Amino acid sequence: MASNDQTSNVATYAASVRAALSDLPSDQAAVLLEDLEDHLSEIAAEAGGTLTERLGPPEQYAQELRAAYGATGAIPRRSDPAFRGLRLAVAWVTGSAWYREVRGFLPELRPAWWVLRAYLAVLILTAAISPGYALGPIPNPGTKRGLAEIFATAVAIWLSVRIGRRNRPLPQPARVLARSANGLIAFVALVVLGSMHTFSYSEIISNASPEQPPFNAAYAAGPLTNIYPYSQDGKPLTNVLLYDQDGRPLTVEQSEAQTTYPTGADGKAITNAYPLSQRHLNGDPVVAPRVAFPPWPTPSPSPSTSPGPTSSPSPTR
Amino acid sequence: MSQAEVDTTQLLKGVLDLAVLAVLADADSYGYDVVRRLREGGLDHVGDASVYGTLRRLYQAGALNSYVVPSDEGPHRKYYGLNNRGRKALDQSAQTWASLSKALNHLLNGRSNSHGK
Repeated sequence: MASNDQTSNVATYAASVRAALSDLPSDQAAVLLEDLEDHLSEIAAEAGGTLTERLGPPEQYAQELRAAYGATGAIPRRSDPAFRGLRLAVAWVTGSAWYREVRGFLPELRPAWWVLRAYLAVLILTAAISPGYALGPIPNPGTKRGLAEIFATAVAIWLSVRIGRRNRPLPQPARVLARSANGLIAFVALVVLGSMHTFSYSEIISNASPEQPPFNAAYAAGPLTNIYPYSQDGKPLTNVLLYDQDGRPLTVEQSEAQTTYPTGADGKAITNAYPLSQRHLNGDPVVAPRVAFPPWPTPSPSPSTSPGPTSSPSPTR
Repeated sequence: MSQAEVDTTQLLKGVLDLAVLAVLADADSYGYDVVRRLREGGLDHVGDASVYGTLRRLYQAGALNSYVVPSDEGPHRKYYGLNNRGRKALDQSAQTWASLSKALNHLLNGRSNSHGK
């Protein structure tokens, strides 16, 4: 019997066995069939006749293999109480209804991951080839680099979805490689995202920030960023000093506008003189809003008009 | 396959783990050699695939070590041997088997005795 014949004989037989067991979960099949060829070669080398003569048809061999591998449970590992607890916990989680629900739902998110991984891959690539570049979560389409990034992302998404939609299952080594690649993208992306420059107003207003923490004025319309005081007759007032009920200077939240505070004789910024002098980011001064003054009651000489019903607390029985 | 052979196969299934562990406790061995030693030991009908599947399962369960030995004449051989867990499993299974076979022999003797009366 020529050794070449033997090899092809073994390969053919092993392929048939693998085909008959193709319904097994891939990780199980991998462990079971890891060295099937070597084993069959041993038999071919030591015994006369073809493998089919020796072992029966490959389908029957596969059936026997399946039974032997799965018929009786694995050796109970009850010697390790820690592992036992862990296995119980895992079994409890995997057996629970919500786990099965999430597990069943996850595959529907696959296309989302295809898109996300493409985006992340471009992000990683950008971070890798341009270390100094202030990376943002969304590329700026106004710059050449941003446009390139957007184009690359589009191509990557197309590619990634194509890869994702491929129907054929990968052979075992390629599948491990693909899983590792996915994991690597997710992990490196975390690092890149973590190092990403976060845009914050506090960095822009750096020179003349007030020393005391801003008074957190609860103001329904949003953050209170300036106060425009007027006199009763509608004249705008300037440098009105405001204090809260405890006598602390009243300050407002910082907006994206740049505030210039007057400096006192002691060199300290006066932060509660209203209205604040503010400039927009583009340098334009912030102008006072249009206001509607309330109609004051015409001043009457008789001060006897007390508003509302008599406030005399006459206890009536 | 005759009825006797089918019966033997069914009975073997349950104790094949024990048989393979016992053979390996004797000496480390590779797949085909395990089959041969089992057959020499009297388990004539043990199937090659059953032994191979059992070896892989025991290995995956962490009861066996495995190592590859290059061979001059043939292919590389994957040897299997017992580790601590495998020895423990063998001890436990051996005890179970001893009590089980004792009970079963007792039952069978009782049957043949009552049959004889």
